[in-house]
Amino acid sequence: MTTSGSAIELGPVGIDEPFLRRLGLIRILVASYATVWTAVRAPHLFDMVAFADRRFDPVGILAPLNGPPGRAVVVTVVVATCVCGVAAAAGWRYRVTAPALAVLFLVTTTYRHSWGQIFHTENLTAIHLAILALAPADRYWALHLGPDAATGSMANDTAGTTDDGGWAVRALAVATVAGYVVAGVAKLRNGGWAWIDGEVLVHQVAFDNARKEVLGDVMSPVAGFFIEHRGLARPAVLASMAVELGAPLALLGRRAGMTWSLAAWGFHMAILALMAIVFPYHLLGLAMIPLLPLEEWTARKHVIAL
Amino acid sequence: MAPLVNQARTWRRAVPVLVAVIVLAPAFGDPGADSFPLSTYPMFSANRPSRADLVTVVGVTSVGAMVRLSPELIAGSDEPILAAATVADSIRRSQSDELCAEVAARVRTEKPGVVEVVVRTEHVDVVAHIADDADPMGSTEHARCPVPP
Repeated sequence: MTTSGSAIELGPVGIDEPFLRRLGLIRILVASYATVWTAVRAPHLFDMVAFADRRFDPVGILAPLNGPPGRAVVVTVVVATCVCGVAAAAGWRYRVTAPALAVLFLVTTTYRHSWGQIFHTENLTAIHLAILALAPADRYWALHLGPDAATGSMANDTAGTTDDGGWAVRALAVATVAGYVVAGVAKLRNGGWAWIDGEVLVHQVAFDNARKEVLGDVMSPVAGFFIEHRGLARPAVLASMAVELGAPLALLGRRAGMTWSLAAWGFHMAILALMAIVFPYHLLGLAMIPLLPLEEWTARKHVIAL
Repeated sequence: MAPLVNQARTWRRAVPVLVAVIVLAPAFGDPGADSFPLSTYPMFSANRPSRADLVTVVGVTSVGAMVRLSPELIAGSDEPILAAATVADSIRRSQSDELCAEVAARVRTEKPGVVEVVVRTEHVDVVAHIADDADPMGSTEHARCPVPP
């Protein structure tokens, strides 16, 4: 809250502003990312309309479909995703635009994944948007705040709430780390303990790059070096398992969260270097921002600016 | 008013736990039952042998030279993994001829020197290939079709 008087009215707990400030920043970053991602991938999504119907293999919420949706539907959903993305990022009519963005982005990305390949690059974005749709993420830096939006003040119409947004920040962080745990468990379930000795990783890197070559795509320039120096594989595997299975440690505190976020970012940089595979949401650090004290960094910038 | 506030607070506290249960759930199910957005995240997890079968579609020139085709030409997409999945699905469903014709139609305008298209599986020692540039050990042809004039 902005005044101590309001905080007293709320009772013994009051409002912890940092969470609301962080949510405001996460809203802007994640909704903007979803909007830009959809706009950039729009030509690819429109191209899919021309795919042969036999290739359509719907997953998730589109699984009940018997055939691919028509061009008009795809164009409408993609355009609506971008419009709602801009509105939600700005915090405009957030209680409507944020849920709409979450649903539309889910439909858009599910459509992309319904042509025989699930990519695993937009899962966390979709889940984060769903949580943000329920969160009080429009209390700072939102259009409806008018002149106060620039300085980041709470809206008058939200005064009196007991919702400090902490649950949403924690839910976003939990969604991030849980995804990494599932990926770590999958490696042990599918690859077995052989995954630990590094040989599975060597074969994965070789397979992925060889597949890219036969498909006329760009290979990693360092894959050959990595495979020639197999001694690198075991420490790389142990590091990746530490990032994935050790992800819950990031929830223990601020320092743990920041340390793990840096390690997870490095993990994705290694994937990019070895297999030329881009996880944009993670490489941009957006997957980790619920764990980072963004609101403090922006506050410092305000002080420097003054 | 106070009980309502406390009730809301209790529900909010439960949300992170609920999210954890939902996102972690696929880890306890069938490892092969991947979906979206909840996933088993099976990428990079398979214990692949060094000797691999790589599916692709290639072009052939009038003098018999092989030409690598891009994911766009193979699958109408810039995604190599989607291109690989498209070829693999076509072979598995015995639809290689249909895929071959589709690729040939795209190749017609993009690769003027290519006269034929071949859907095939290349048998490769991927480790030796990436490390030492070893040649493929052979290939299996699934479909061959002419590029329309």
